[in-house]
Amino acid sequence: MSEPGKVVIVPCSGIGKTYGTVSREAAYEVIETLRPETAQLVALSRLVLGEANACAAVAANPAITIDGCKLACATKMVQESGGHVAEEFAVLDVFRRNRQFKPQGIAELNEGGLQLAHALAEEVAAVIDGLQEKPEE
Amino acid sequence: MPNLPQKKVGIVACSGEELAEGTVTRLAALKVLEELRPEDTVTICLPLFLAGGEGDRAFARFYPTIAVDGCDLRCAARATEMHSGKPAASIVVTDVVAELGIGPVAGLRRLNEAGQQAVEETAVRLADLVDTLLDKKWSRREGRFVEPETVLLTTQQPKVASCACGSGIPVQVVDIEGQAVTLIALPVIFEQFHAAGKRPSPETITALLDEIKIYNPVSPAAEAAYREAIAAEYATLWGELEPIR
Repeated sequence: MSEPGKVVIVPCSGIGKTYGTVSREAAYEVIETLRPETAQLVALSRLVLGEANACAAVAANPAITIDGCKLACATKMVQESGGHVAEEFAVLDVFRRNRQFKPQGIAELNEGGLQLAHALAEEVAAVIDGLQEKPEE
Repeated sequence: MPNLPQKKVGIVACSGEELAEGTVTRLAALKVLEELRPEDTVTICLPLFLAGGEGDRAFARFYPTIAVDGCDLRCAARATEMHSGKPAASIVVTDVVAELGIGPVAGLRRLNEAGQQAVEETAVRLADLVDTLLDKKWSRREGRFVEPETVLLTTQQPKVASCACGSGIPVQVVDIEGQAVTLIALPVIFEQFHAAGKRPSPETITALLDEIKIYNPVSPAAEAAYREAIAAEYATLWGELEPIR
């Protein structure tokens, strides 16, 4: 269910690659631990279906997308659903900034994957803070 | 036949990130893809039906597909039908959990005991459905099952998840009587005919058209136009590439 005023986080829904898992782990850390009061998660599958509540959530709130690969499904789907992508993250770019964390695993991330997800989550949280401070246009 | 996966089952998980049952769909699908039926299954990310290309959208017509959904919204089943083709079967995790009476599934990141049981049971049911679907004959031309017939299974794959992200089914757009028509598998068919040294000729075009019709609907009325377009495309390709001797 959409929560007004909360920034929408849309992670990748890929199941076959490590970066997809990193994107979700980061999104979960943001909504469960770092910014539970100011962020909400919207499942990509609901946007693919065109489900009304999901589309309304991205239409009414700024969205941060986290993509696991260059196909950028999360970003494209938010845009196609009438939403505004305030910031788009690609896990590969975050990895390039944090090469010390080498992610492995899909069902379960290794320590490097969890650390990379944490670094990504911190970046997402900083963007959320910036969006919350921004006066409404 | 071109060297395409001849008989596999596609698995499309909703992956619903908002619900623990969505996590169950991902892990169950992964278990089938990597452990239970690695040689018989392939997957695609649901959003690629919209964010990807024609090859991605052909997925559920090319493969008999099982949709795995976390809840009764059934995003995977419904979106697959809307954007690709009707799934051959579907599983809803909340139904599985209710049938088993294993209590509430919880833990988006780390599933609880009930969630882990749900993964095991959903994966087993998925694998059973894969076996059932492999025993039936799938028509890629029609995107549905046709009359029962024995099918020879010869595919061998490594034990890693066969993620079709971005790879999709190879397609080529051909101009047929002024209409841009996307033909599934055409690049691979052309490549294999060329590699076999089959020069453009009426016989070759007939054989090409027979292969194309396996993967694409071609009405009898349109056959002559297809034949003409395919002949032109193949002659162009043959002229561009060094002939095989």
